[in-house]
Amino acid sequence: MLQILIQGLLLSGLYALISMGFMLIFSIGRTLNLAYGAYIMAGGYAYFWVAQSLGLPKIAGILFAVLLGMLMGVLKYNLIVRPLKGETVPVEISTLILAVVIQAGIILLFGNSAKILLPIVPGVMVIGGVSVTMNVLAATIISWIVLLALFGFIRTTHTGRAMRAVSMDRKGAAISGIDPNRINLVTWTISGGLGALGGVFFASYTQLSPSMWVAPLIISVAVVIVGGIGSIVGTLIVAHIVGFLEVIVVSVFAPELRGIFTMLLIIGVLILRPQGLFGREEH
Amino acid sequence: MGLRWYHAAFWGLFALGLLLLPQVASGGTLRTFIFANYVAIFAISWDVLSGRTGYISFGHPLLIGFGAYTTAILTKRFDVPVEISIPLAVLVTMIGGLLILLPALRIKGSYFALVTLAFMEVMYQLVQVIRPDLTGGTRGMSGLTTLTRGAENGYYLSSALMLVIAIGAWLLMRTRIGTALSAIGMNEESVRGSGLSTTRLKTFAFLTSAAIAGLGGAFYVHYLGSLAPRAIFDINFVFTIIVAVLIGGASTIVGPIIGAFFMVFLLEYLRPWLPGPERYFVYGAIALVLYMVQPKGIVAILQSARARMKGRTA
Repeated sequence: MLQILIQGLLLSGLYALISMGFMLIFSIGRTLNLAYGAYIMAGGYAYFWVAQSLGLPKIAGILFAVLLGMLMGVLKYNLIVRPLKGETVPVEISTLILAVVIQAGIILLFGNSAKILLPIVPGVMVIGGVSVTMNVLAATIISWIVLLALFGFIRTTHTGRAMRAVSMDRKGAAISGIDPNRINLVTWTISGGLGALGGVFFASYTQLSPSMWVAPLIISVAVVIVGGIGSIVGTLIVAHIVGFLEVIVVSVFAPELRGIFTMLLIIGVLILRPQGLFGREEH
Repeated sequence: MGLRWYHAAFWGLFALGLLLLPQVASGGTLRTFIFANYVAIFAISWDVLSGRTGYISFGHPLLIGFGAYTTAILTKRFDVPVEISIPLAVLVTMIGGLLILLPALRIKGSYFALVTLAFMEVMYQLVQVIRPDLTGGTRGMSGLTTLTRGAENGYYLSSALMLVIAIGAWLLMRTRIGTALSAIGMNEESVRGSGLSTTRLKTFAFLTSAAIAGLGGAFYVHYLGSLAPRAIFDINFVFTIIVAVLIGGASTIVGPIIGAFFMVFLLEYLRPWLPGPERYFVYGAIALVLYMVQPKGIVAILQSARARMKGRTA
């Protein structure tokens, strides 16, 4: 029981970190960034290259990964989203194509075989008879720090308020003197950085492979759909629902079924309550 | 339906070209053509649903998988002859099409795309867990009945199938129903406002798309003789289908065929330089640039080129 609780909390923290960047784009840019999984993968590989292949300090690897993710966000917004005028379907399709291109690029650079990432924080700790790897614990703690910082940023700063305004009503925000392009650019940048950071920890939780982008993308999709548009707290709660669901299914039923209940949750919520459990009503 | 003589001439020439091709092409090229034919079938199936109505399906392999798995299980485990198993596979796929239709009656846009993606992932995981004695579990199945022997026969079968489906879908889309489906893609509310039942039209589009996907999937699996869950329920497969439609030109029927051939042959010609999946890097980049330049695809580029030529001579 305690095991389920602890593992659930840790996994959910990781999932919250992964899905936060995806939620930002979906809330503010109003499109699904299907290449979001590619940020996660690029982050994992960038960290692997700097920290393990080059042997530089781990913090440099994480920094490099985050900067790369932010750069990818900026490039993607300026080269793809903006020329397509942010229209939903074209952006989704082009990001799907981009995801496959990045996947092939990773194969080109690093080869097709899976790679094991050494734990970022080594060691095992025993809490109440349950052994917890320090690596996942660190991921969860960082995830909470990042989430709180993001929450504070969006609630208190001017840019954060502008982001919420654009998310609610783009035209209204533009009339009040907010440049939606700038806000979108900021959002895509933050989202890229968050994705890459999540990717570093996700990769150390599972392993690095060129097809690793699909699983975190689907998790993000699940969390955002069930949580609804524009709700950081909703995203956080649903990340815990999804995380606990997975841990419970794995320990009570069978590991092979881990994704199925998450998928059924998405389908059920979408059909019964398309705006999500915590989202605003859209008009 | 506004048929003209040059329509018949076009399809006739196309059929003649396909018929004469084995005289000049080698076995390896024919195998590439077979794959291109099946991709074209899947692309047409996607186009009938998503290209027309604007309901983007990211889970189309789900339907193909229904068809492929049904006929594979029936022939391999129950010794049902192919003549019965393939029609049954199409029927099962159409029922599966109704399953993904249900959410589409309530939700649209990005949300619909996501539900179809979720359905596909559910199926990918279920297929490996539930009754592995029937589905072959993670490894899939091999040693299935094949319909044809040799590249040439397989080529004729796939070409005939593709041609029949293409002409059938093309004729269907020139009727009032096809027009109404395109209108749903433009503005669903106003179609409803014109007194048409969008529910009935969408049901029709889903069933047609599912029938084509099931037929294609069933024949494809009997050509390959094997199937594996990761080869079918895969986001890269979704990519292959969607990109074939978009490169060619959505909601044109001819476009998806052009797109499928363009794509399969480009990938084939890249093989000497890039043998593995890295080919998708070049291919995807070309697809992305093409899509950014002209989202309506090669067909639109050809049309505007023809219009410009006419303008110059007139």
